[in-house]
Amino acid sequence: MEDNVKLSKTVLNIPGTKPNIQNGQLLLSSGIPSLDELTGGGFPVGSVVFIEEDEQCTYAKILLKYFLAEGVVSGHSTFIASQDTSTNSIMQELPDVMSFDPEPDLDKIGNDMEMKIAFRYRNLSTSEKPKELQIGHFYDLTRFMPRNTIESSDVTYWSKRNDTYGPDTFSNSDYHCLLEDIKNKIQSGHFSVTDKVQQRSILRVGLHALGSPMWFDESFTELTINQHRDLNMFMFCLRALMRSAFAVAVVTVPSHLIRKNVIDRCIYSSDLAIKLQSFTGTELENNSVLADYHGYFQLTKLAAINSFISKHPGSVEYVYKLRRKKFCIEKLHLPPGFDESANKSLPSAGCGSNTKHLLEF
Amino acid sequence: MEGNPLLTALNIQPSDRIISVHENGLSDTNFIITNLMKKIFSDNGKICLVIVHHTLGHYHNVLKRLGQDFMEKFRNGFATTIEPLKDIATNTNSNFLSSDKEWIVKSLFLAISDKINKLLDGYDDGQVYLIIDDLSHLTDLGVDIKFISAFINYCINLAQNERISLVINCHIADSNDNIISNCLRYVSNLVIDVSPLKTGISHEVTGVIAITRPHSTELLLRNSTLHYKAYDREIKTFAPGESIYHLYK
Repeated sequence: MEDNVKLSKTVLNIPGTKPNIQNGQLLLSSGIPSLDELTGGGFPVGSVVFIEEDEQCTYAKILLKYFLAEGVVSGHSTFIASQDTSTNSIMQELPDVMSFDPEPDLDKIGNDMEMKIAFRYRNLSTSEKPKELQIGHFYDLTRFMPRNTIESSDVTYWSKRNDTYGPDTFSNSDYHCLLEDIKNKIQSGHFSVTDKVQQRSILRVGLHALGSPMWFDESFTELTINQHRDLNMFMFCLRALMRSAFAVAVVTVPSHLIRKNVIDRCIYSSDLAIKLQSFTGTELENNSVLADYHGYFQLTKLAAINSFISKHPGSVEYVYKLRRKKFCIEKLHLPPGFDESANKSLPSAGCGSNTKHLLEF
Repeated sequence: MEGNPLLTALNIQPSDRIISVHENGLSDTNFIITNLMKKIFSDNGKICLVIVHHTLGHYHNVLKRLGQDFMEKFRNGFATTIEPLKDIATNTNSNFLSSDKEWIVKSLFLAISDKINKLLDGYDDGQVYLIIDDLSHLTDLGVDIKFISAFINYCINLAQNERISLVINCHIADSNDNIISNCLRYVSNLVIDVSPLKTGISHEVTGVIAITRPHSTELLLRNSTLHYKAYDREIKTFAPGESIYHLYK
């Protein structure tokens, strides 16, 4: 996408995208307003987003569904691949679009409180005010998108070919097939930057649980070094494909099953790297401070494209929570240590005995 | 160059014929490459750029911020590119996806030497730079280390011609990358290491640049360590510990 040095008119008119004039980039929404804000406006077109799944793969799948749902609503084309679950079931469970925020942040409670000490801060909201959406929509996780909406949009479901015979570039031919199929989709849908079409659209590629044990070749009885090499090569080739097209790929990877050095190279080949660290099953699950949240959201990498400076938010720690109707990412604020139980056990300050005297000053 | 703190800090000497840039962890060395390109263009040098990590548009956009027009240089014959990244995406029978891994580096080197010879033709008194950004992606393509080190060897032999200089970028993520990086360090006249801060992320400092000239006899040029901060249009460098001073200047 970046081969287009100046963004032309046909490019600027793509629905569901927003140009970033400063960097000459086109941004599209991830489907989650808080994630768009965190990544500097959205995902740049032509980029690869790498998501390290939480161990149960609950939340990474939700991120992927949001990304794909936004594509369907914006009229983009979709390419979905998975070997762990059926691609059909992922598409059928996409959240339905809404015209308003299903669960807005209720910060009124905080404002109504009469502040006795820090009264100057009374008028400040306790949480960040939601900005108006420039791109993207709100979604309701409790409702599924109507089937006819999905059927009327351009969705390609990838399935494993049984009679594959390709060049032995990859040790597992599935990776080769997947890459070829994405390449074919780019060509047939005229998503390439060199194609001249009247009305451009975007291809959203969603790859679920790439590199999981389901991606191992049948001929391998155990984990070999080639399997890891395949993942690195695939990520690099995917980067090459995305860069040459009006497309964005979101890849979720079960990183806890793969060696760290392989993940590091995958992160290097991607433009955005996100790590979801769920509290479920860890000792953090019972931590009262983190009780409102479901896990840490780490933005490992945010590449500087067309610029020197990355829009990485810095050393702020983020957490995610899954509400009934929506998934949101927030800054982690530790609450002040006012705990009733803590108050009771506080030792008396200063010297002297605890016994009360009749005469006290 | 005087207004550019990074180039002043790097203080490129005519003897720095083989420059290697090492990218540690999550740091980004692209600013070093683009600033070196700016210097080469302002010295009327020619560049053969091997693009493996970014795209041509990226270099054009970043160099525009530094006051250089890459596309114009490209049209005037001062720059030429080899784009394996584009080739992989557009060419169905790309050499870079060949199962013969030796052929990948062989064909790449043949393309490089061909382009460099064309740049040298009719250009009598100037330096031609070969810039490879980034070499470590060859490991992603499954190329064995022995072939990569042979490739480095061939490139260095190119620099036997005094009018050819090399700038090679290398990312370090795993042990294979470390071997390539050490190999490059061994042959380089100037080694530039870019790392993130060990302590995490800071608002005032983006990372650390370590500059080493292993073969230099001048003590002042041998080693230096700097902190840097990336801005939208420039990179500011300063001695470790001076960052607060730069904030309030």
